[in-house]
Amino acid sequence: MTEIIDQHQEGKRDVTFRVFRFNPQVDSKPYFDDYTISAERGITVLRSLNYIKEHVDATLSFRAFCQAGICGSCGMRVNGISKLACTSQVWDELDKCREPGIIRVEPLRSLPMIKDLIVDMDPLVDKMTRYSNWVDSTMPLDEMGKKEFLISEEEFQQYDKATDCILCASCVSECSILRANKEYVSPAVLLKSYRMNVDSRDGIHDLRLAELVKDHGVWDCTHCYRCQESCVKSIPIMEAIHAIREDALEKRGPRDTSGAKHAEAFMEDIEKKGKLVEATLPIRTNGVVWTLRNLLPMAMKMIVKRRTPPPPPLVKSAKGIKIFRAMFREMTEHVKQDHLKSHKK
Amino acid sequence: MKRYAYYMSCINESMTKEVDRSIDFWQKDLGLEFVKLHEGTCCGGSNLDYVSPKHFALVNARNIALAEKMGLDLIVSCNTCLMTIRTAKKKLDETPALKKEVNDILKKEGLEYRGTSEVRHLLWVLVDDVGLDTIKAKVTVPLKNYRIAPFYGCHILRPSKVLGRDNPLAPSSLDELIEALGGQTIPFDHKNRCCGFHTLLVAEEESLNVAAEALEEAINAKADFIVTPCPLCHTVLDGYQSKALKQAHIDSSIPVFHISEMVGLALGYTAKQLGIKRHIVC
Repeated sequence: MTEIIDQHQEGKRDVTFRVFRFNPQVDSKPYFDDYTISAERGITVLRSLNYIKEHVDATLSFRAFCQAGICGSCGMRVNGISKLACTSQVWDELDKCREPGIIRVEPLRSLPMIKDLIVDMDPLVDKMTRYSNWVDSTMPLDEMGKKEFLISEEEFQQYDKATDCILCASCVSECSILRANKEYVSPAVLLKSYRMNVDSRDGIHDLRLAELVKDHGVWDCTHCYRCQESCVKSIPIMEAIHAIREDALEKRGPRDTSGAKHAEAFMEDIEKKGKLVEATLPIRTNGVVWTLRNLLPMAMKMIVKRRTPPPPPLVKSAKGIKIFRAMFREMTEHVKQDHLKSHKK
Repeated sequence: MKRYAYYMSCINESMTKEVDRSIDFWQKDLGLEFVKLHEGTCCGGSNLDYVSPKHFALVNARNIALAEKMGLDLIVSCNTCLMTIRTAKKKLDETPALKKEVNDILKKEGLEYRGTSEVRHLLWVLVDDVGLDTIKAKVTVPLKNYRIAPFYGCHILRPSKVLGRDNPLAPSSLDELIEALGGQTIPFDHKNRCCGFHTLLVAEEESLNVAAEALEEAINAKADFIVTPCPLCHTVLDGYQSKALKQAHIDSSIPVFHISEMVGLALGYTAKQLGIKRHIVC
């Protein structure tokens, strides 16, 4: 142990990279190769992989280009977390190893494997196509290229952060729902969709939003914040997802989808009782038939264990509900005024 | 005695009543006094923030202001309530115009949001305020024969700029509590992953897949039980467990405890007293 600490302070030490290997043309299943190299303080995981490829094993495959956190090519899992190899310092990673001195390097999750650390980005690109992740310009064709299409500073602020996305797919790899169902839209595509939908130069907002509220779309996000937490550009992805939902509720109404109904129920219950009425939440979200079919067996077990939520009349309102309700409604008036003002603009 | 305002989460008043009941058994033993906020309202459950950002700010400014009026910190025992109320607090503290707008309304009830009370999780109170040494000294029935899988859940860790207590990639507070109670924590990759609760009614199949992955890891690691600081995670991992495991073709089961029950067991209260018999899996 003291030897490791001494080496650490010296700024040069032997580091083992345990790298995921898989060549579907040859291998029946994936395996790991260990490469031990002498690494200097300040070296990145990507430079280490480059060294290994040049000096130890030319068959090791990975994607990389700019080496500066700009192009987004070298997304991979380092010690279990999806990130860019080019901005990950070996010395920082050494503190996070489960086995001392061994850095695990694996491909991103939730995308098909091609070879070793290379994954197929096509499913992500296909989803960007499905959700029209581009500005469909409202400028007439004959004016294009002849004049500027300006936006206000205020509007730009709305998507400034979102335009930082470099499509590294770290958020895609970390997403809980995508892991559970590959059809899910995925965080990067939601972020791009948000960015396009708030752009005043774009003409297909409604079309894009209609696609986003369908199955496997924006309402399937489970608010785990893993996308935001793993974003290599620190983009608040969840804020973008919430903004799409807010937009969907406003433009398409609170009865549009089960996701919208579920969200709106919180607003209704808080205004009425100050408390959530959980017993009827499944019915208000999905209707009686779905609830009976999906939840009846579990409800029976819960009745036996006396853990069913109380029926609506038995849900006690929060103490002081009258004055709370008056304040809640006063805020509703404020929100109406805000809407009037923004529509006038 | 350390005094705190205690936020009553909707779920703990309906489906997971055992959380507040078990805390009532041992709070005095650990020198804690939780004053229940019966005037508090639903935080919005990580939904109201986009349904109506301004109502979200008002409701939670009020929840915090009720604690501020008593000069106490607000203690929460549900991860999502914690994240939601802390998110509102951050927004109010960073946006003076919003704070003023909200306070103009709160005046009606004689309340004012000042930003003086902290909003913290029960787990943090146990580990940071009571302290691991005190807890160790109070243990009468150490959990020494138990292998325990710590499931932190999302909203006590992420977004980290709102939560900030634990390293979201390598959280330790729950592990430390387990060890202070004499239990053995097991390495658990799913400790900082999601339970799937928030999409149970919208994308049930996906939610159950998410839950099944965590349950499967704990079962394969031969854990005696999973423990979680969040009643929402508990509802999925316990209440929906058989459905999730059936969907994943896994023929097994594992009990899931609240932290309040685990503490109660180590302090000598019985499973029956603490409400553990009311779980779906026990």
